[in-house]
Amino acid sequence: MATYAVGRVSELPPGHRKIVTVDGRSIGVFNVHGRFYALRNACPHQGAPLCQGSLGGTAAASRPGEYIWEREGEILVCPWHGWEFDVTTGRSIVNPHRTRVRSYQVSVEHAVPGENPALGENPAPGEHPASVGITSPADEDERVPTFPVTVDDGAILLHL
Amino acid sequence: MSTATPIETAEAARTARPARRGIVDTDVHPVPRSADEIRQYLPMPWRDLYQGERRSFYNNPVHGSRLDSVPPDGGPKGSDPDFLRKQLMDSYGVTHPILVPRSFCNIQPDPDYGSAIAAAFNEWLADTWLDRYNHDGAFKGSITINHHDPQRAVEEIERWAGHPHMVQVMTDSGARAPFGQRQYYPIYEACERRNLPLGIHPGTEGMGVNIQPTPGMPTHYIEWHCSMSLAFQSHLVSILTEGVFERFPGFRIALLEGGVAWLAPLMWRLDAYWKALRREIPWVRKAPSEYLRDHVRLASQPLERPADDRHLLSNLESMDAEHILMFSSDYPHWDFDSPTRAFPKLPDDLWQKIFSDNARAFYGLT
Repeated sequence: MATYAVGRVSELPPGHRKIVTVDGRSIGVFNVHGRFYALRNACPHQGAPLCQGSLGGTAAASRPGEYIWEREGEILVCPWHGWEFDVTTGRSIVNPHRTRVRSYQVSVEHAVPGENPALGENPAPGEHPASVGITSPADEDERVPTFPVTVDDGAILLHL
Repeated sequence: MSTATPIETAEAARTARPARRGIVDTDVHPVPRSADEIRQYLPMPWRDLYQGERRSFYNNPVHGSRLDSVPPDGGPKGSDPDFLRKQLMDSYGVTHPILVPRSFCNIQPDPDYGSAIAAAFNEWLADTWLDRYNHDGAFKGSITINHHDPQRAVEEIERWAGHPHMVQVMTDSGARAPFGQRQYYPIYEACERRNLPLGIHPGTEGMGVNIQPTPGMPTHYIEWHCSMSLAFQSHLVSILTEGVFERFPGFRIALLEGGVAWLAPLMWRLDAYWKALRREIPWVRKAPSEYLRDHVRLASQPLERPADDRHLLSNLESMDAEHILMFSSDYPHWDFDSPTRAFPKLPDDLWQKIFSDNARAFYGLT
């Protein structure tokens, strides 16, 4: 697994993102509530630059007529057709079993004390929830990768 | 944030098939940089009135146009010809975008105002996208008309028919009466006389003075948007049964963004009824579906995409896509169909017809 420094923690506060090209791949790195996530910048539907989409919440309901606004800051909406993805897992909201954006692990290593206390919550490489689970070989065409991210001395490290 | 357009470019290069001639995209929307760009072409009293009116509700709850279509130097999505060339033409090998401006002129209850907006859009398109932005002649345009005002619509057709880059007349499918009825015939006669097809495009169903083609007004955008194809089905049945193509044998129509997969079963149904009920419409001298190849084309976007590609391919064969389907993307709108991703893999000759040859023949492009 190769490691790439893709930016500083200080330049990517919660709610912000950075799109980088690493090893020929365009990847979006997101700070979601202080934890870092990385997704391939291509929608599994028609190939749109997914990571340019809006990041916000989404609506749920337990019965018709109800709106429950939830998961604010965790839902990435494709900039073309509006398909929603869970930025923390790469999974499609509408069809989690068939469409999954590949996400990449991002971690923060040796965070500079005080620079961003929340960063310590990022899991160690290999523990990232977004790095597990592809449903079946038949879904290969419909998933977009996620990648592990760590932070070292305030540097955001992307692991491919 | 750095941009990621290389993804698109690489994707297009990987999957694009060799084409004898480039792609013709039959539904592309050029957008004025501001309402002032249109207002300057409006005479008083309309100049003081116009605010760039669009439909007032049924707006997309997510976004109306691709978020990545914002021009690098700012301005509305779809307003920068250089960026459109880069993002649509260069990325996918589109050689001719057929430009379909969205004037929303036919929502207006005042026919004079609606027709003035149509005329202003035509002058704007001719001065900008068909002239200043069109050094290579790639952009082909549509003559916007207000079909609620056939007399002025005919004047507008006559005014622009000789323009070298105007390739069709265009109106909205939002209407007060089905398009086979006689009040529209002056428009069809002018189209036939000037050998210009009529493009029909959705977006004003149920808006302003137009009737919504459902039993009442739907609640949500998703219902309204999904139901737009109902207007096209109604207009097509009306045009075929009223004998429009018997009355105007040189008249041709293009159904833009009205859906695709409904056509075959609708024609099965209409042909069957015609066998029993033709005495009601004796001027329809052959099965209604037999008029399609000579008179009707469909633009592909938004292409219905079932989970099993075989079902779509079967539907394309049933609807005679080889002869009557033309690719369209709807750039820069939110439901853009990618030239490389919207369709399943097609046989090369079928791809060539749908993505290039059918539109070139229909619009007289070389």
